[in-house]
Amino acid sequence: MPLRHTAASFNASGSPDLVLALLADARLPVGGHTQSAGVEPAMAQGLTSAEVPAFVAGRLRTVVAVEAGTAVVARHHVLAGADLRPVRLAWAARTPSGPLRTASENLGRGYLRLAGRLWPHPVWATFERTPPRPLVLGAIAAIAGLDAARLVRLCGHEDVATVSAAVLKLDPLDPLVTTGWVLAAHPLVEELVTRCASLTDPGEIPATSAPLVEQLSVQHSHAKQRLFHA
Amino acid sequence: MSAGTTRVALRRDGSLDLSVGAFSPKVLHRGPQTARVALVGTRALLLAGDHVDVHVEVEDGCALELVEVAATVAYNGRGGPAARWDVHLGLGAGALLVWEAQPLVVADGADVDRDLHADLDGGALLALRETIVLGRTGESGGRLRARTTAEMDGVPLLVEDLDLRETSLRSSPAVLGSSRQLETVAVLGRRVEHPDALQLEGPGTLVRSLVPGGTSACWAAVRADLLTAPRGTDTLPPT
Repeated sequence: MPLRHTAASFNASGSPDLVLALLADARLPVGGHTQSAGVEPAMAQGLTSAEVPAFVAGRLRTVVAVEAGTAVVARHHVLAGADLRPVRLAWAARTPSGPLRTASENLGRGYLRLAGRLWPHPVWATFERTPPRPLVLGAIAAIAGLDAARLVRLCGHEDVATVSAAVLKLDPLDPLVTTGWVLAAHPLVEELVTRCASLTDPGEIPATSAPLVEQLSVQHSHAKQRLFHA
Repeated sequence: MSAGTTRVALRRDGSLDLSVGAFSPKVLHRGPQTARVALVGTRALLLAGDHVDVHVEVEDGCALELVEVAATVAYNGRGGPAARWDVHLGLGAGALLVWEAQPLVVADGADVDRDLHADLDGGALLALRETIVLGRTGESGGRLRARTTAEMDGVPLLVEDLDLRETSLRSSPAVLGSSRQLETVAVLGRRVEHPDALQLEGPGTLVRSLVPGGTSACWAAVRADLLTAPRGTDTLPPT
């Protein structure tokens, strides 16, 4: 399916900070509540709440860099009117787990539906039905006027916030503790900005892998009892 | 030090080009378009600043199996430059390469940069088993960064950057946790069914294990299957 579009117009209106707040809001109707960012399968294998910050840190330096890098390069491609297919292929080659690709595509469908309504633009017609989430986030950033650094912050925050919210459903814990994890991860999210915000080429997208996250995602997809998809 | 490039190339006409580098290729079996070649280390590997360079080429329709005789230990570099280990694999249309690499043991103080790139033409099949061991007995292991890229007909199939250089990242429960060993069976060019497999979006499968020997049964099945599958030309006898 061609992802190329022409005559892109970008009518960024409003405040990028408010767009970021809107997209980072857990109440955004995109199906984020179905995801645990890998923490449910990890806890099923014995990860304790005390180890979650190290889990989060490992994700931010590996798989989240793939996600954020893909989003940034997708944003650049949409702004340049370039074909998004190479970005999609680069993401897929860096996401060896089928269940993690499916989870991203399920979320991507939700974001695509939202984006088409909130930010009408010809680019959406060029998307396949279930694009990976970072492709849609990158395109939203391009159209809604979110710069690359804010886009990376969104990806990083989203991941930590997803883990933290999921842990509350898996282990009775003070929500102030889990919110503290989100705040404590800020330096790592800013490291991610340094690493990813200036990328433009699909070949430059980080490919850092997290073998345990990938392996557990496959086992989780066979699990009979689970609260979250992935 | 650089010992030059180790080269194993099986040509379409069945001829075999071999060059000695850090490894000396020894022919174990020859058929009209098939070969089994052992890679035998020519010197102590792997020291600080070493550059090991291995090029393997299997042209259209040919089948090659590489075997290694001994594990490689990357020794304490005592602050010296990282050792580099570059592997380039080129497979023509319908070619088959089966390679069971012996474990790479990264001792305390070692620093290794491993880069593997595979270029596959349509219908090519690559089966590779790799084992990474961080540290010898009683050690926690040195630094290793293992990058793998594979393309099929120029399209990226697998791009992976396994960064195990920093202990804090490596021991994250997202990365390796408390494990010090990672085995990977990679089959590229087609999928292999396995309950715990990572099925790539393109034709390819990774089967991994964090426990020693965890991929042995899978590897034995994959290897036997690929070596005995009917091919246009002769097949390699399984040993």
